Amino acid sequence: MTLTPPPFDPELAAVLEMIKDTLPPKLTMDEIEATRNGPGIAMLADMDLTLGGVFEVEDRIVPGPEHAPDISLLICRPAAPATDGPLPVIYHVHGGGMVLGNNRVGVDAALRWAGELGAVVVSVEYRLAPEHPYPAPIDDVYAGLLWTAEHAGEIGADPGRIVIAGASAGGGLTAALALLLRDRKGPRPIGQLLMCPMLDDRNDTPSTHQMAGLGVWDRTANDTGWTALLGERRGGPDVSPYAAPARATDLSGLPPAFLDVGSAETFRDEVVAYATRLWQAGGTAELHVWPGGFHGFDGFAPQASLSQACQTAQLKWLRRLLAE
Amino acid sequence: MKELAGRLTALDPDAGAAVRVIAYFDRLAEHRAGLEALVRGVAVLAGCPARLADAGRRVHLRVETDGRRRDTEQPPDPAWPSAALSPDGAPALWLERAGAPSVVDAVILERAAAAIRLVLDRTRGRAPSAAADDPALVETLLDATVPEQVRLHAARRLGLAPAARAHAVAPFDGPPRVLAASALRGPAPVEGRLPAPEGAARGKPAGADTGSAGPALPSGRVGVGPAVPVLGLPGSWAAARTALRFTADGTSHSPGPRVVYADELGGIGLLAELVVPGADPPPDVQALEAAVADAPWMLTTLHAVASTASLRGAAVEVGVHHSTLQDRLGHAEALLGWPVRTPQGRLRLQLALTMRHLGRA
Repeated sequence: MTLTPPPFDPELAAVLEMIKDTLPPKLTMDEIEATRNGPGIAMLADMDLTLGGVFEVEDRIVPGPEHAPDISLLICRPAAPATDGPLPVIYHVHGGGMVLGNNRVGVDAALRWAGELGAVVVSVEYRLAPEHPYPAPIDDVYAGLLWTAEHAGEIGADPGRIVIAGASAGGGLTAALALLLRDRKGPRPIGQLLMCPMLDDRNDTPSTHQMAGLGVWDRTANDTGWTALLGERRGGPDVSPYAAPARATDLSGLPPAFLDVGSAETFRDEVVAYATRLWQAGGTAELHVWPGGFHGFDGFAPQASLSQACQTAQLKWLRRLLAE
Repeated sequence: MKELAGRLTALDPDAGAAVRVIAYFDRLAEHRAGLEALVRGVAVLAGCPARLADAGRRVHLRVETDGRRRDTEQPPDPAWPSAALSPDGAPALWLERAGAPSVVDAVILERAAAAIRLVLDRTRGRAPSAAADDPALVETLLDATVPEQVRLHAARRLGLAPAARAHAVAPFDGPPRVLAASALRGPAPVEGRLPAPEGAARGKPAGADTGSAGPALPSGRVGVGPAVPVLGLPGSWAAARTALRFTADGTSHSPGPRVVYADELGGIGLLAELVVPGADPPPDVQALEAAVADAPWMLTTLHAVASTASLRGAAVEVGVHHSTLQDRLGHAEALLGWPVRTPQGRLRLQLALTMRHLGRA
């Protein structure tokens, strides 16, 4: 195995140059608090979630898991839906390495799809590690999904057409949610959209080594995120597949998956392996590996040529999935 | 993951921004980003649509602030902030925005223009016509064994759109050339040229009356292949080489056209396959050689007869009195063994002259 990393796409390399001060590739446990209060998260408060009046936005407090606090769901419904009938739902789980973010982070991507497709977006707020280790985050994500399915009528949504989606840690939690819903015989989402998902706590694939110190979420940051979630158990023998979906031994019976990842990022190999195992288990999966993409490039640089291709692929998959 | 935090659109228009702009374009240049990526950077960083319009290199593109390319036919507004690609050049890079540029706008334009110039120099040559002389690209384009994608890439490097039509050109001295059909000035009728078939005008521009091929053609003996889509150029090249064999120096020792267009050869082109250079010449060519050896005026006189519309015209061509020409032709006919003043005999003479020409090793 060579440690020579694949080159970044030229446009994305230039973006990395601009954001490297705000977003260094490494993140240590000591830096979590400062990053949470940094400019990235604050900026989201100013984001126009209505997309210029296309959506009506509501923060709804709903019951959390048993013996746990309530959770907040960000609900964005089309102001002028094209049809009177119930709309499909994009259930969105935000990223942030299990330790950062809120239900606004990355929701703009989901809103763009929903604007194109005429769907409701529900974005879940979950408790963050290390203050709230596993299983708090996935329990909150699961509780939010149950509420969405059971109260779909209240938000003009069709409980039979829920797509679950997330990027990075949100992608990992989305994959875990699909496993959990299968095993607990919960509501059946019609698809899972896993964008550069964080799937494997072992942090030991060739790509995690190749990309050390590079990009925006390197080996050190990944170790920080997983250790925050799992503590001493990280990388050990007793990690639940609902924490790290790569640990699941049975990937059969899951909803159709869309997975994407950059070739120049930490998660490349675990995402490719997960897609491969979905096929080996007789499942349906569409995998895109974007050459020269760093972690989350389509979110950080949505205007770049590669990001446009990536967004188009996601939207087309959703269109095929939701077409009746 | 911390998406959104570093979005370019969040860039503040302050002094720090100028430094980041410089870093951004420097990094694009370092990674050899293409033109669209550079113009996209301008649009995103300036927060308004950006345009690159360089007529000389046939580059026109426009990118909006969401990074999507949306070209337009509308000309740029001269009042917009702009930058030239060279110190004394015309404006080529534009911000679609009214009013004077801010400091950051000026930095964006300056750095992007510098990076764009480097890309254009690398991909299209410093001057618009320079790339057309790149022998490696031309050879790639003319080689049927090269994969189509590679040939299309070479065509683009040479400034030829895949749908454009171009001629392969075979000079007697010098490397092969490829010329866009639009750039090649068609031939005007010239005495001594092989007869052009009906309808051979091929859209020649009116006023192409300089009496020679256009300035785009190399000098000296040149065979020109037919105008074809770029992927058909290997075939045009084969035809151009055949046409080259029909060219002559245009001197008394080698009378005939210096430029021959393959698609004007018609059926005469078939002779090229029949006559092998250096092989034993056919009897009519042997008779012709004997006649040419008999008198210094013989070759130019017979060529004039074969290639002009009348004997009177031929007499003017070789600069002798009509009666002198009649005397000469009587002598020639005796040596050749066939008449040259009947239509059949004239055709036989034309063929003999052409075969003699093709047969020279």
